[in-house]
Amino acid sequence: MPAKKRCVAMLLAGGQGSRLGILTKQMAKPAVPFGCKYRIIDFPLSNCTNSNIDVVGVLTQYRPLELNAYIASGAPWDLDLVSGGVFVLPPYHSGASGEWYKGTANAIYQNLAFIAQYNPDYVLILSGDHIYKMDYAAMINHHEKMGADATIAVRQVPWEEASRFGIMNTDENFNIVEFEEKPKNPKSNNASMGVYVFTWEKLRKYLIQDEADPTSSNDFGKNIIPAMLGDGQKMVAYSFNDYWKDVGTIESLWEANMDLLADKPEIDLHDKKFRIYARNLGMPPHHIVDGAVVENCLITEGCEIMGCVKHSILSSGVIVEDGAEVIDSVIMPGAVIRKGAVVRRAIVAENAEVTSGCVVGENEGLIAVVGPGVKMPENTQVKAGEQYAEN
Amino acid sequence: MKSMMGIIYTGERDAQLRELTTNRAVAAVPIYGRYRLIDFPLSAMVSSGIRNVGVILQRNYNSLMDHLGSGREWDLHGKRNGLVMLPPFMTRDNVGVYAGFLDAVRSNLHYLRRSKERYVIVTDTHILYSAKYDDMLAAHIDKNADVTMLYTADPSMRRNGAGRYIEVDENGRVTGLEVDPTIARMPYTYMECMCVRRELLIDLVDRAVSRGQYHLTRDLLMNGIYEGTLRVYGYEYTGKAWFIDSVQAYFEASMELMDAETRRNFFDTDRPVLTKLRDEMPSRYVAGANVKNCLVADGCVIEGTVENSILFRGVHIEKGAVVKNSIIMQDGCVQKDAEIDHCILDKQAVIREETRLIGPRNYPIVVAKDLIV
Repeated sequence: MPAKKRCVAMLLAGGQGSRLGILTKQMAKPAVPFGCKYRIIDFPLSNCTNSNIDVVGVLTQYRPLELNAYIASGAPWDLDLVSGGVFVLPPYHSGASGEWYKGTANAIYQNLAFIAQYNPDYVLILSGDHIYKMDYAAMINHHEKMGADATIAVRQVPWEEASRFGIMNTDENFNIVEFEEKPKNPKSNNASMGVYVFTWEKLRKYLIQDEADPTSSNDFGKNIIPAMLGDGQKMVAYSFNDYWKDVGTIESLWEANMDLLADKPEIDLHDKKFRIYARNLGMPPHHIVDGAVVENCLITEGCEIMGCVKHSILSSGVIVEDGAEVIDSVIMPGAVIRKGAVVRRAIVAENAEVTSGCVVGENEGLIAVVGPGVKMPENTQVKAGEQYAEN
Repeated sequence: MKSMMGIIYTGERDAQLRELTTNRAVAAVPIYGRYRLIDFPLSAMVSSGIRNVGVILQRNYNSLMDHLGSGREWDLHGKRNGLVMLPPFMTRDNVGVYAGFLDAVRSNLHYLRRSKERYVIVTDTHILYSAKYDDMLAAHIDKNADVTMLYTADPSMRRNGAGRYIEVDENGRVTGLEVDPTIARMPYTYMECMCVRRELLIDLVDRAVSRGQYHLTRDLLMNGIYEGTLRVYGYEYTGKAWFIDSVQAYFEASMELMDAETRRNFFDTDRPVLTKLRDEMPSRYVAGANVKNCLVADGCVIEGTVENSILFRGVHIEKGAVVKNSIIMQDGCVQKDAEIDHCILDKQAVIREETRLIGPRNYPIVVAKDLIV
């Protein structure tokens, strides 16, 4: 029996992220590359490490191969421990029964035995589709101090956007009195971030109860939270107003990447006290060749820049040949931009090859995408908002 | 190739590297933006299938120990084998410093005895090269050699009054060896890397040391070649190699490796050079930064002008600063409007605002670790 833990984190990483189109055709959303050398899941995992949470269950379901290989032993996040660590938890068969994860709550329900091993005081529920740096320990302390049964992280969103989120209506002491999923006329602008702390015994009780209800859709937002509110459990909102971005769509993924290029980025990746860790590919430093033009970019190891790159994100091992132009774009690991190709307001996915004469994206409008591993025929054009995946 | 182990000698040879080696062994000298010299032979061993590596430490080995850690970055942290540190230790027989390579091996014979591999690759660390030891072993077996010496015909690897030179006959057998001649007469430079059967090495070392011999090349190999007691063969290394035996040589090697063609040949993507990780963020080029022909590691912030230079991890070039033909190691900083040319900044060195530091072309200025100029 492992030693008791104060908190076990459960990271929901099973969703397909279908709004990311061809980027998530081969891999789950949390495995999508972000910001030169990271993947989306590096953020919640590193947050756990920085919050001294050393047991993390990662619930996978959709296309888990890339994610499993990436997490592996958990060493990059210091989560290869004797007393805990990171565990990939796919759905499994037990005897005659066994089924896919039916919903977020059901995914945790199916792994109650995993959590019970550590007999934790609290369980932290996370999702794998946001870019943010957050000290979960502070939130857990708040939960403990308030004597709450559940604490939900919220952030103030602009009022005009509030109807896109799950909104928490609170009293003057920040107790949650009502939860509304995507309300037409929001009463508050406190949006749920999908980060929950539960007192373990309460969570267990409500998950078992929820599973017994055949009409439930086994979802935290739709079922568990309303049920606990209905029973008058103490539910507290925890306000978090630092950088946080949902990267569930092509546009928002591109925007979050571009946010890193601001004069003073709202998310500080330089902070040595709160590092974002990632698996490293061991490539040589990048080379800016004589004649290249580099303006306002983030560039990482293994890149070779011979062309012109402006206001862009260039990931590990990217090659930009001479005469090629990359502007306002995200180039994912291993992609190659050949001589004379032009890439503007676009995402070029892993190992794609934009051959000479290709024009990807336009000066304005929606973001263009070139899919992973695609080798474009020469002189192909990809218009704003299009996704190129042929070949 | 499970039948091969490695021994890396991190010897003394540090006098001419000046400030770069006051507090570290040559093997720990930072090079090429993110590596230390030892990373190259160590990674080459790993990609040649070696899973058991002993590192003989001599002096100033603190930074080397810190760098290698448990060997995790090289997948050498296993239970069955992995990285073994062999520092000098004091006993009745040992005085606490190795008298030379043979003495170091003799002090650690127990390690060689309990290893199970049939062959050993032994290499020093002051030559920068990227060998395929598996190919070298294949040649060793093919020739039925006792010892196979790695050599190069590259004329830039020759030095007056220093180095080891060999000649080989048409079958590749080594027929002559000279050590530190004023002018080398023999055509090839021995790269101080050899392949030998483990049990033979144990036997040779034992016999040599018991006769008061402590020098691997001068004593052991020399006798074996000229007395004909050992079948010594040469194995030619045809890639690029650099002797890192002075600050100038260090500087030139770094600059030559920046050339795209040279680099592509040297860094084989199938045989990556591995090193200790730092989890730095990507490097940031601020609008207004001006960069030409530079090699840049992660974690740098570049606001000024940088030309023909190598920036290690976490370097900051502030606005208006001008850096030319220089090497700036980890966490170095060139502040606002400062200017440097032909300088090597050791780790955490800082060039203050508006300071100018221009080194002569053939004698780069070395700014010692932690120094503020």
